Amino acid sequence: MASEPMSVGSSAMDPPVPPSTGELKYGGFTRFELELEFVQSLANPQYLNHLASRKLLTNPSFVAYLDYLQYWNRPPYLKYLTYPGPTLKNLQLLQQEKFRQDIISPDLVQALIVEGMRAGVEWHREG
Amino acid sequence: MDKYLDVRFERVEKALASLIDSIAKYNPSEKLAEDLATADKELARGLKELERHQNNYARIQQLRDETAALDAQTKEIIGTLWTMRKEVRNTQTTSYSSTAPKYQFDTADLLRYARRISRNTLPPPGVTNGIEPAAAAASPPAPAEAAPASPARGGTLTPSASFNNGPAAAPTPSANGANEPPSQATVSSSATELPVHLKPMVNLHDGAVFFPWPGEDKIRSGALASYQALSDRGVDPRGYDPEEEEARRAEEERAKKEAEEAARMEREEAERRMREERERMARDRERARQEAERRGSVAVGGGVAPPKSQFTFLDGLDDDDDD
Repeated sequence: MASEPMSVGSSAMDPPVPPSTGELKYGGFTRFELELEFVQSLANPQYLNHLASRKLLTNPSFVAYLDYLQYWNRPPYLKYLTYPGPTLKNLQLLQQEKFRQDIISPDLVQALIVEGMRAGVEWHREG
Repeated sequence: MDKYLDVRFERVEKALASLIDSIAKYNPSEKLAEDLATADKELARGLKELERHQNNYARIQQLRDETAALDAQTKEIIGTLWTMRKEVRNTQTTSYSSTAPKYQFDTADLLRYARRISRNTLPPPGVTNGIEPAAAAASPPAPAEAAPASPARGGTLTPSASFNNGPAAAPTPSANGANEPPSQATVSSSATELPVHLKPMVNLHDGAVFFPWPGEDKIRSGALASYQALSDRGVDPRGYDPEEEEARRAEEERAKKEAEEAARMEREEAERRMREERERMARDRERARQEAERRGSVAVGGGVAPPKSQFTFLDGLDDDDDD
C-alpha cells in the first residue's frame, strides 16, 4: 500500500498521513484550515476590495461571520496566524461599518497598500 | 531720590555761596570752608547712594523681565499639555483590560512562533520597497523623487552599499545626482566590485517588493480556491475528501485488477485442463488403433499375444467362436 511507511510504494520524503478522525472535511480541508486561510487573506487590502465589489460586505450574515472570526484574536488560535499584524488589524477595521463602506474605493486600497509596504520596512528601523 | 540729592546739592551750593561771600568780604572763615568740605562729602555720599539706587532699580527691572518670560513659558507649556491631552484622549487605541484572562506560554513557543512569522514581518536584507534609508529623514523631497525612480534602485541598496549611499545621499538632495558620486567612489575604491550597471543582474533581490500580507497568487493557490474549483465542478465539497476518494478509487481499481487476474488464471487453468484432457483422449485413441493393428496381425500370423495388462475395448470384438 502506498500510504504505509517503509513500503516500496512510498518515498521517504512524504509526510506521514495523519489518521482520519472522522472529522467532516470540506473538499479535503478541515473547517479550521479553511477559516485560517480566509482570515489571513483578509490582510491583503486588494482582497478586501474584491470582497466589497462582490457586495459581500453589505450582507448581514457575512458581517456576522466577520464578527465570529474574532476568535482568532485569542489563544490557542492566535498562534496559528503567520501574518498576525495585518490580519488582526484588518479584522478589527472590518468590524466598523464605515470601513466596510469605504474599502470599495480603489484610492483607499492603494493608500493601504503603500502604507503597509512602508510600515513593513520601517517599523523595525531605529530613529 | 531726587529730593534726597537736591537737598545735598543745595547744601553744597549754600556752603559754597557763603564761603564765596565771606571771601569777597575779606573775612575768610575756616568754618565756612569746613562746611563746604562736609557738604561736598555729603554730596559724594549721596551720589554713591544714587548709584546703588540705580543698580537696584536695574536689577529689579531685570528680575521683572525674567519672571515675565518664565510666566509666558509656563503658560505655553500648559497650553501644549492641554492640547496633547485632548489628542491622546481622542486617539483610537486597543485597550488591554486587566481583567481579561491571562494565557501561559513559554519561550520555546515564542521563539518558534517568531521564526514562523519573521518571514512575513521583516523584509529580507536588501529589499526596501523603494524607501531610502538615511535620506528619508534628512530631506523630504528626496523620498518623493526617489519613490518613482527607484523600485529598480531600491533593490541594490544592500546594507553595505547603503552605508556608502547614506552619508553621500544626505548632502545631495537630488536622487539622480546621488547615484553618480557614490558609484564612482565605489568603483574607484575597490577594483574587485562589479561595475555598477551589472550589479542589479547579480542581486537576487533586485526590484523585489515586500508585502506583509499574503499575495494574490498565494490566495489563488490555496484551500479556498480549490474549494471553489470543486463547487464549480458540481461536486458538493461538504464531506468530500479528495484524498479519500483517491484512496477508494485506487482500492477499487486494485481489487478489479486482482479479480481480472484471478479470472484469467482460472481461464488458463481451465484451458490447460481441457488441453490435457484432449491430449489424453488422443493418446488413448492412438493406443487403441495400434492395439487394433496388432490384433489384426495376430489374427494373420499368430503372433505375439497382446500383453495382458493392456485393456482394449476391442475385446468384445474378439471372435472366438469360429470353429
